[in-house]
Amino acid sequence: MTSTTGTARRMSWEWLGVVPFFLYALLFLIIPASFLVIGSFQNADGSFTLGNFIGLFDETVRNSYALSLQISLFTALAGGIVGFLMAYAAIAGGLPRFVRSFLLTFSGVASNFSGVPLASAYISTLGRQGMATILLRLAGIDIYSMGFNLYGIIGLSLAYLYFQMPLMVLIVAPAIDGLKKEWRDASQNLGASNWQYWRYVALPVLLPSLLGTMILLFGNSLGAYATAFALVSGTFPLATILIGRQIRGEVLQNPNLGYAVAVGMVVIMSVSIMVYSWLQRKTERWLR
Amino acid sequence: MNRKFLLAIALVTVLILVVACAAPTAAPTSAPPTKAAAPTAAPAMSALDKLYEEAKKEAALSTIALPDDWLNYGEVKAAFLKKYPGIKHNDLDPQAGSQDEINAVKANKDNKGPQAPDVVDVGFAFAPTLKDEKLCTPYKVATWDSIPNDLKDPDGCWYGDYYGVFSFAVNKAIVKNVPQDWADLLKPEYKSMVAMAGDPLSSNQAQQSVYAAALANGGSLTDPAPGLDFFSKLQKAGNLVPVIGDQSKLAKGETPILITWDYLALGYKDILKGNPDIEVVVPKTGVFGGVYIQAISAYSPRPNAAKLWMEFLYSDEGQLLWLKGYGHPIRYNDLVKRNVIPADLAKKLPPAELYAKAVFPTGAQVSAARKFVGDNWEKTVGVKIAK
Repeated sequence: MTSTTGTARRMSWEWLGVVPFFLYALLFLIIPASFLVIGSFQNADGSFTLGNFIGLFDETVRNSYALSLQISLFTALAGGIVGFLMAYAAIAGGLPRFVRSFLLTFSGVASNFSGVPLASAYISTLGRQGMATILLRLAGIDIYSMGFNLYGIIGLSLAYLYFQMPLMVLIVAPAIDGLKKEWRDASQNLGASNWQYWRYVALPVLLPSLLGTMILLFGNSLGAYATAFALVSGTFPLATILIGRQIRGEVLQNPNLGYAVAVGMVVIMSVSIMVYSWLQRKTERWLR
Repeated sequence: MNRKFLLAIALVTVLILVVACAAPTAAPTSAPPTKAAAPTAAPAMSALDKLYEEAKKEAALSTIALPDDWLNYGEVKAAFLKKYPGIKHNDLDPQAGSQDEINAVKANKDNKGPQAPDVVDVGFAFAPTLKDEKLCTPYKVATWDSIPNDLKDPDGCWYGDYYGVFSFAVNKAIVKNVPQDWADLLKPEYKSMVAMAGDPLSSNQAQQSVYAAALANGGSLTDPAPGLDFFSKLQKAGNLVPVIGDQSKLAKGETPILITWDYLALGYKDILKGNPDIEVVVPKTGVFGGVYIQAISAYSPRPNAAKLWMEFLYSDEGQLLWLKGYGHPIRYNDLVKRNVIPADLAKKLPPAELYAKAVFPTGAQVSAARKFVGDNWEKTVGVKIAK
């Protein structure tokens, strides 16, 4: 301990400001997550077992993980790319100023629209009797006979993209703002082509934010539950739906396996973050 | 710095969402109360009068878990109290579930006060619990013989009170040609129209509809496998909509054919009042009954009042009150045979012949089927990852 000259160390009142944060984190994140981890190593009687983790290799659980990963990867990539292009067009493109503020405001709203309300909105718009479906049918285009189905992987991906793309727009906007116009001027003066500008200047600068945001999108989609439950609960066993069935269903009831599946998802997330960090170090080395 | 922030958010998001999976989603629906004609009165018997005299000395009756809007229980309770004004009613915890009732009986074992339930009304699955744990007082009501044999305990420990069968609630604004049987649901004209009332791996109702489909497709009470094959075919034909069907999706036409209990379907029809018109079809084959049972608690502090209540419920009068709430009373076939169902009530119900075909699984069969569906639904019907 550092020696003090007579005056007792004063507790700073500023700590008080963050008490609510720590309290919430403790009650809603840390404690439940600890129960999750502990429960995943217990059987129904509460004694120690590794059986739940062996259960993860069961065909149905593997299938759930595969489905979840597939839809998360797809919506993270598609949402990330389209969202980036939208943001770039609105911010660095030659569009009028109001487009930017309109897009950002809308994104702020849409990125928070998920769960059961989002599913209901999609059902009312693109369901069999949805508004858009019927308008298109009146125009002679029957999307359902063309193979579209809201209640399957296409529909679910579309619903996820509704919040994924705006989230991407919101988060990469500051990064795009950080691209200085002078860099492009300079590279052009030095004779760089458009491709070379992107390959050697813009992309390396943006890459850390792009990757980081896509990981965020990936996690966002991996953990989504309510939207999927409301849209495709019966036949589309995402990992989160599987967890819900095991923990609070009337039929399966093996909460401990549910906990193990959840722990597995946390592991997947941690691994993807580690891969990200590694990529990060590789791409960023020269920037220092 | 920005990057670390994003990572932290990503991890925290997954954690929160994963934890949130455990939270409950939707509240269950229940059958609505209805109005109908006055039922016929039970004949006055001297034995019944004597029972009332004994019950008057006890002066009260405690029931549990009987919501007013469930199977017309509001009217059932009111009619009983009007008929027997000497009894005071303790309406314990109307929203409790079957397990709560069993717990309340056990917890009040030595309590002679109003908090000890005299009678219980629980799901069929609890029949073995009542009998094996000796939680019931055997008693045979006057109409005992007209209760079907497989729906009562031979000693009178418990007996079925009412049941529902699976039906198709059909939105006639969308579906012109109403399906009449399970096999019809596979026809191409019903593409993307058929929905279940829940996730078969989360909801008892949806899981039991698989059982019902089995009965219609060569399965039996001990062989639910053909039910899974049926839903697999329905899924492959593109007729099964995997969304959870409910009253609003039925009305909107999003799931114009909903497989659900008849009492819920008939309730939806009343609530929607022709906008759109709903037809409730009980399939010609695979008429599967979900039964509730009634019993007098072994620790009932007021056994005579309890017996009086049982006599009332199992009289024609009590049985018809349940029927008004669209629950088919256990003596339904007897009521039909003796022609005591008022015409305007009968008109609202699906044909009586179909109910005569209803089959009822035992508690053990229900648990075995639940496990089978739980283990195999995903392998048979669930979407698999494209290889």
